[in-house]
Amino acid sequence: MSVLPGVVAINTFREAVRDRVLYNLIFFALMMIGAAILVGQISIGIERMVIVNLGLSAISAIGIIMAIFIGVGLVYKEMEKRTLYSLLSKPIRRWEFLVGKFGGLLLTLVVNTSLMTLGLGLALYCVGGKFERTDATILVAVYFILLELALVTALALFFSCFTSPMLSTLYTLGIYVAGVFAPGIQGVSQFTQNWALRAVTRFIYYLLPNFHDFGVIAAAAHGDRVPLALIWHNTLYAALYVALILLAASAVFSGRNLK
Amino acid sequence: MSRRSQNKSHTRAVWLALLAVPVLFVMCAALQVRIDAETRSMNQGNEELLLRSGRLLKNLSLGYEPLLADIYWTRVVQYYGTRARKPGATYESLWPLLDITTALDPKLMIAYRFGAVFLSERPPVGPGRADLAVDLVKRGIAENPDEWRLYQDLGFLYSIHLKDYQKASEAYLEGSKNPNAQVWMKVMAARVAETGNQLETSRLIWIAVYSSTKDDLIRRRATQHIHSLDAALGLKKLNESSEDYWRKFGRFPSSMQELRDAGLVGGALEDPEGYPYVMGPNGVPQLNPKSPIVLDPDQGPDKLR
Repeated sequence: MSVLPGVVAINTFREAVRDRVLYNLIFFALMMIGAAILVGQISIGIERMVIVNLGLSAISAIGIIMAIFIGVGLVYKEMEKRTLYSLLSKPIRRWEFLVGKFGGLLLTLVVNTSLMTLGLGLALYCVGGKFERTDATILVAVYFILLELALVTALALFFSCFTSPMLSTLYTLGIYVAGVFAPGIQGVSQFTQNWALRAVTRFIYYLLPNFHDFGVIAAAAHGDRVPLALIWHNTLYAALYVALILLAASAVFSGRNLK
Repeated sequence: MSRRSQNKSHTRAVWLALLAVPVLFVMCAALQVRIDAETRSMNQGNEELLLRSGRLLKNLSLGYEPLLADIYWTRVVQYYGTRARKPGATYESLWPLLDITTALDPKLMIAYRFGAVFLSERPPVGPGRADLAVDLVKRGIAENPDEWRLYQDLGFLYSIHLKDYQKASEAYLEGSKNPNAQVWMKVMAARVAETGNQLETSRLIWIAVYSSTKDDLIRRRATQHIHSLDAALGLKKLNESSEDYWRKFGRFPSSMQELRDAGLVGGALEDPEGYPYVMGPNGVPQLNPKSPIVLDPDQGPDKLR
């Protein structure tokens, strides 16, 4: 198997670090410190829950913003700087370049998310003075956020293969929002009496990446268990969907005239 | 890479995508079905609403409150529609959702009118909160004093659900003062005051509800109630015939056929859904167990004698 995607991925990660992308961690750290101090003063009995909700929501939101805004520029930036031309003149296939770019951003997001999770853990320890067994669900929630980020990154990369960063951002954000509201679309299909509308909404429901199912923040905050089957199925779902989007992206990018 | 080999590579990538993408989509959809089953069991009984304050949402909506109200109304309809008749369903968020919807758009008549019907329905088809329904309609009247239909809804709630015929009559009468109100509002005011507790009056009120809307959901609800009342009326008549039989033969009939043979009843002895009535113990007629009609608790066979 070719090592070229790995090389591209490492370089993409290095570039992100050079671009001071990980500076967002300072913002996250300050927010968590502030929350840990304030939450004890303003919320009685739900300090832990507030910290978990706030921390996981911030991890998800910061990750999504990074995935979209960096993802849409991954290919475009290389073309604009004309570095892509010299890169593709070397024996690297276009799909390898794309997979490498995807892997690089995902690596950045994994490092970023891991550090934020560490910060969340520290804040939780400061508030509660100990870790509980149910806190393991927080790690599941973080894992689901990473799966979600992988999907968003793949989408952003796909759109960046054929349109401008501005439009790519809009499209990715649009699909993300629609995917979060997927149960609403399913609700319409279950409720309507109109068979055509039912068929269309059901088709859209299964076509859209379902981001709603990755949201277990509430379960983590309440210390509820997440079924193992769901972890396994969500992992498989994200992997299949990412493969599907990267395949489509490769098909589009391979036909793109770069002259 | 030469132009030729690039074209070849592109063709290969497109073919691969054309073949693999649909297969992967189907696999994702199949997986989604399984995930839905898992998340359904996780979310059972989880009816949390993040924001319960309509006023706060109004402030947060940045001037888009009518649109937000429409979205919330859609949520109300979905929320109620997916729960109605589901065994063990609860309706905890119905009132907060309606409260938010009407706070966001106080002129959204449909939310008051249909919301009141949803709220007042007895379990399992609703939360049975006629008191909240009355509050909702009164709020609607305060915001929309010219809407005579809301007085009709208030009269309906008082007479059908709260059995307060005096207040029901007052509501119908107040509504009838509106120059746009239908003439029958006055008739209803008089009728409810005189014979509010009669099945025939309840039937008239439900017919008024049925004809006042084109919405399928409300019409279905009204039809179910009309069928239930018709069945109750049918059972009442049959019970009278059963008592006549007792007076004539000194015992109660053991079947509908005995009533028919005695010449006390005739025609098709069926409920509005087409299921034949059956004779219960002590000559008390009952609905066929297979009939989908559900009698209101105050119309059951035990209320016949």
